[in-house]
Amino acid sequence: MKKISELKWYSLSLPLCLVVCLLPFWTGPYYLQVFTIAFYYVVLASSWNLIAGYTGQFSLAHHAFAAIGGYASALLVTLFGLPIWMGILAALLSSTLMGFILGVLCLRMRAIYLAIATWAFAESVRIFLSMTYKITRGDLGLAVPKIFLGTGRAVACYYLFLGLAAVTVLVIFLINRSKMGYYIRAIRNDEMVARVMGIHATRWKIFSFIISSGIAGIAGAFYGHYNGLLTPVMVDFNEMAFIVIMVVIGGIRSIAGPVIGAIFIEILTETFREFGEIRMVVFALAVIAIARLYHEGAMGVVRRLVRWISGRKQAREGVT
Amino acid sequence: MGRTNNSLLCTENLTKDFGKLRAVDNLSLSLEEGEIRGLIGPNGSGKTTLMNLISGIYKPTSGEVYFSGKRIDRLSPEGITHQGIMRTFQVARLFGDMTVLENMLIPAFTQGTGKREASHRAKELLDFSLLGRLSHEPARNLSGGQCMLLQIVRGFMRQPLRLYLLDEPFAGVHPTIKDVMIRTVQKMNREEGVTFLVVSHELTLVRRLCTRISVLHGGRLISEGTMKEVANDPRVIDSYLGG
Amino acid sequence: MAMGITFIYGIMRIINWSMGEFYMIGGYLQYIIITQFLGVKQWYLGVVLSMLGVFLLGMVVQRLLIRPMFQGTVEQRTEYATIVTIALGVLFMNLAVIGAGPFIYSPPGYYHNTKLITLPISGTRFIAFIGTIILLSLFYLFLKKTWWGRAFQGAAQNRMGIQTAGIDVFRLDQIAFGIGVALAAAAGALLAPEFYLHPKCGSIATMKGFEIIVIAGLGSIPGVLLAGLLLGLIESLGSVFLNPSFRDVYGFLFLLAILAVKPAGLFEEKERVA
Repeated sequence: MKKISELKWYSLSLPLCLVVCLLPFWTGPYYLQVFTIAFYYVVLASSWNLIAGYTGQFSLAHHAFAAIGGYASALLVTLFGLPIWMGILAALLSSTLMGFILGVLCLRMRAIYLAIATWAFAESVRIFLSMTYKITRGDLGLAVPKIFLGTGRAVACYYLFLGLAAVTVLVIFLINRSKMGYYIRAIRNDEMVARVMGIHATRWKIFSFIISSGIAGIAGAFYGHYNGLLTPVMVDFNEMAFIVIMVVIGGIRSIAGPVIGAIFIEILTETFREFGEIRMVVFALAVIAIARLYHEGAMGVVRRLVRWISGRKQAREGVT
Repeated sequence: MGRTNNSLLCTENLTKDFGKLRAVDNLSLSLEEGEIRGLIGPNGSGKTTLMNLISGIYKPTSGEVYFSGKRIDRLSPEGITHQGIMRTFQVARLFGDMTVLENMLIPAFTQGTGKREASHRAKELLDFSLLGRLSHEPARNLSGGQCMLLQIVRGFMRQPLRLYLLDEPFAGVHPTIKDVMIRTVQKMNREEGVTFLVVSHELTLVRRLCTRISVLHGGRLISEGTMKEVANDPRVIDSYLGG
Repeated sequence: MAMGITFIYGIMRIINWSMGEFYMIGGYLQYIIITQFLGVKQWYLGVVLSMLGVFLLGMVVQRLLIRPMFQGTVEQRTEYATIVTIALGVLFMNLAVIGAGPFIYSPPGYYHNTKLITLPISGTRFIAFIGTIILLSLFYLFLKKTWWGRAFQGAAQNRMGIQTAGIDVFRLDQIAFGIGVALAAAAGALLAPEFYLHPKCGSIATMKGFEIIVIAGLGSIPGVLLAGLLLGLIESLGSVFLNPSFRDVYGFLFLLAILAVKPAGLFEEKERVA
């Protein structure tokens, strides 16, 4: 039974992968950009799913880590003239460090307080970035040197972000299958029992925080060098809401869910840009509907479909 | 009741206060290795609190807990588990989103056992306790009795398991499952030398299963001995009939 | 504001992230009522009416969205509540932009500027202050003296217990939610002339509200009063002695600090773990 569904996944995803890899040859720069940004969100959504979906730590500060990474890299490169790869490294270090600090602070908090605390953290970051405009140029935006020798070539960036997204999804997938995956899922289900079973909850929660914030930081850094401009709008609560929307609609606690959700929502957002606020209304309604009626999101639908198909196949083959 | 004797578990003047309420009062109790000890007493006598104290969920207000001569009352719940002590809860607490098999694997993983080896033992245990066919069901789909049974069987994944605390394992469970529970406990006690401390209100089962009984009342140990001795103890009769 | 959040939490154990949006709705309703129907002189009536309106809206929301949480049709409760109330907030905010446009409305002041002993005070803030005191006192009396109030207290302490006492918990939930958001609306209506009305005005209120309840510890009503004063103090002190543009941050940092040390606020409630 398990083998059948695995085969189905591969057969579905292979043609999709081909399409995705060859996309630049078919579309123009506009759609290329849309997809590049979509992959950026795939990274954010997947990494948030790790900490919030799988480990059950509903952090509302994920976008802040991306911003921390972005600004860290941008500032290091612009102010000290360091090469971009060092900036990226610095971004990783700083977002991981902040993730660690936040994780430690939030260790003993119950779910509700965790949400509040992480939200407060994110808002603090936003205000901080705005207020230290002497360095960060605040709301005016920080000009960031583009990657690939200052050219920021669209096609190259497309593949860069595609690669980032692929690596991120792979990492999350591997973590989920490993012992860590078991531990964090147990922690989410019932932390006290997890500890009674011998899981060092503290250790794994922090680990989960570090990994997810580190990934977000790297993504943010690359985003900065791609976009050429960074503003504190990145840390607006709207960005976090977007991430939540993407993961919930795509299917929380699934590997492909955040991927589907991120790409889908990003495309929709761009396509209907002229409708402005109505987009958000629709998204919000969709999230409410899904949370209320069909918790598993899009991936849940896919899973049911797969089970139904293989169920019928078994019935036809006369397997009991 | 000092720590010099060869008891497996030993509490010394253990006291736990919740504000003004004294849940456990100067309790000194000891368990021998290989026993199946029953712990009975009216509601509110401190049985679950004692379990929580031993398993590291509560820290004592005063007094100590010793395990194989080593002091354990300051350890975290994870730490206690790594000493070889497991426990179940009055309300079956499983990892609902994970399958039965995955639930079983966790205690083994935390010991460093590999997936293949752990799965093997898990299957053995599940088959023995007649839960085998539910291996890939999400734990939340199980019936109440099956949940309790799974909770118990899950603890056996830890090897070596030296002490197992069972908190009201039989409450509201179907008789056939109760049978399976008792057989499993006895098998583990016999073959792997697991010591048990069983809290229960069902005195017939306690008599059938346990070698010695300890009776609590008002957080204090009021009697100890075989079922016959304890049943005839006037203090015990008083506590159950009186207030 | 904080009172509303904590009240809802006390009864239903969920945090309503869209409180700020209810605040905003309250403000808008008040504005509409005053300008279209009543006229400025009877602004206090407007406050009451907008509270009523939001109260009803709250009950509807609760019935549709929150109640199923308790009826077993939804799985992960805290997660669900957070997702749904955040989405609700986003929904209302964007509806407001569509409906009323991204403009800023400024309701006329309620009262002329006066002096509080020797300190000059703006009329609106004065009114808001008085209004808050009146509301909070009424709320307190309601909780302590009336039957409903005591029922709520009971529900906050033991949900299962009051069901055995024959009270319909779900009805209680609905009304509690309505009251909670009505309080937010009152805050919105009272503060509208001071802080102006625009679709995003809710988020600042949410911020402050959360800071207060976190400092106080969820579920503690007297704690909220104390914490509110404390927050005001910290913000002012910080602004005076340190950099004033970071004013909001002081509250946040204080909040983070408190949570790190006492994960359930200053006046926490203990929960049975095992």
